[in-house]
Amino acid sequence: MHIQLENVTPEFLEKEKIEISDTWNNHIIIEQGERIQIIAPSGSGKTSFIHFLYAIRRDYSGNIFINKKNLRSFTAEDISKLRSAKASVIFQDLKLFPDHSVFENINIKRLLDPFHIEARITEMALRLGIKNKLHKLAKTCSYGEQQRVAIIRALQQPFDVLLMDEPFSNLDEANRVKAMDLINEEVEKRNATVILADLKKIELFTADRIINL
Amino acid sequence: MQDNKIATPILNFKTIAPYLHIGENRSSRFFSYAGLAIGVLLLLASIQMYININHLLKEKNPRKNGYDFISVTKTITNQNMGKDNRFSGDDIKELRSQPFIKDAAPLISNQFRAKASAGEMIPFSTDLFLESVKNDFIDTVPPNFSWEPGQMELPVIFSADFLEMYNIFAPAQGLPQLSESSVGSVNIILECYGPSGVQKYKGHIVALSDRINSVLVPENFLQWANKQFGNSDNSPASRIYLKTIDANDPALLNFLQQKDYHVNKDKTKFGRIKQVLQAVVSGLGGFAILVILLAMMLFSFYLQLMIARSKDNLQLLLTLGYSPSWLSKTVAKKWIPAYTIIILVALLLTAILQYAFQQYVLSGSDELSPFLHFGVVCLAAFLLLVCVVVNYTLIRKLLYKL
Repeated sequence: MHIQLENVTPEFLEKEKIEISDTWNNHIIIEQGERIQIIAPSGSGKTSFIHFLYAIRRDYSGNIFINKKNLRSFTAEDISKLRSAKASVIFQDLKLFPDHSVFENINIKRLLDPFHIEARITEMALRLGIKNKLHKLAKTCSYGEQQRVAIIRALQQPFDVLLMDEPFSNLDEANRVKAMDLINEEVEKRNATVILADLKKIELFTADRIINL
Repeated sequence: MQDNKIATPILNFKTIAPYLHIGENRSSRFFSYAGLAIGVLLLLASIQMYININHLLKEKNPRKNGYDFISVTKTITNQNMGKDNRFSGDDIKELRSQPFIKDAAPLISNQFRAKASAGEMIPFSTDLFLESVKNDFIDTVPPNFSWEPGQMELPVIFSADFLEMYNIFAPAQGLPQLSESSVGSVNIILECYGPSGVQKYKGHIVALSDRINSVLVPENFLQWANKQFGNSDNSPASRIYLKTIDANDPALLNFLQQKDYHVNKDKTKFGRIKQVLQAVVSGLGGFAILVILLAMMLFSFYLQLMIARSKDNLQLLLTLGYSPSWLSKTVAKKWIPAYTIIILVALLLTAILQYAFQQYVLSGSDELSPFLHFGVVCLAAFLLLVCVVVNYTLIRKLLYKL
């Protein structure tokens, strides 16, 4: 997937923050298969950046082109196709269905455009240590467990780009390694681009490029 | 690499049902179903009844080639008594110009004295009136109903009502009763009195008419005879015959009433009944539409509430990549079976009502089919389509707003 940002600037961000940013109000091109780490302090628009790319928000000036097509011209159906087959995301706030089981939370994404068979959900849950939580309600899991649910969910679909917003913020070192390994395997299978946004450099993540926001 | 053995899952309503609060607010859902069923039943039944009324009351008049024929005269009142109450040429023109009147023809009457006797077989004689009208207006015109100048035999079409009246008083007068088939063999001697004396014709009843209460002779004979014996051209007529698509057409009846024309009550009394019945049935139909609208509104409230309560889940489904178009269609499709069942039940009940009406109220008369009119079935299909489209449009609108 070819991603191009042309003078993208959040409408709500202070002028001073935009002036010192490498990303905002700049030209940035991200090629297929690149691994990008975005390092951004709190309040610099890190989550907004992920949301702009995933077409959840449009409160920015400038333009984002996905495969040369302006994201602003995407219809509701185009956006659905983008989200179900081209771009996958691990949200900072996870966005799980709290009153549904862990399995249901993962499978509802898999059913949309399955990249894996159903049994892979159990395998992945086993690898990340949440197999015993599969049939528990998501809201009864700890935040770290929920984060792993969100990671597994994001890996159920085909994607050309994986967007991650502080994906390991609540994981211990051992679980971070397991999660990163699983993500790397899945990204390799798809030859996908990875954009990881975090407050500081994530050593586990081997980035081709680091961009300060 | 993508797993090899992935059976493509079938995404359907079951996939997303756990994320929607469809089971809540059951009472308003069932009230809207019941309302819809009652409304549709009322509407279908009233439309069917409207068709029945039109059909039944149209058949009460003797028709020819799809037309009704009625005679009108000017109403004689104390005020216009003694004045000329005949139809002028302008009156006839005005009648012919009305959209609901296909044609109008005056009944020409004899302007001379005419007398009939039936010879020795039936010792009976009477002064009588003769009339003629365009053949097109007569229900039974045999081929021999014609007259050539100089012809002494005169074909006559006699009112069936007159024959019935004759048969009632004939025994008391010592006269023989006559059947419809034997009346043609009676020799009538028709005497026409003119200034130059009496001319006798041999009359033959060639047909009986259910429609025209008169003694009809060929038009050219009467035109000739009025000149010959009455010494006058044809005068304005007292009676006009009207040819119309429907003698019970309210527009026709209102026009005749407004012009103060008297019309044979038998022919039009159904018109008034029809007007009243049509008004009642139309009112019922209007009420039914109101009930349907209210039921659909109630259901739309249920849908809005369901979507409002499922808002977070629906938003998340959209965020995960579920298409709003697919979601709208899938959610809307969920209620198609319910709508179909409701409308089919209403259609079935209407069919039962129609059958019962034909069997028990009309005692199985051939006048009316025991089955539903095709239009009613089409209306049911149309209502189903309306329900589905309205439902889908509403859900789509609500989902795209999220």
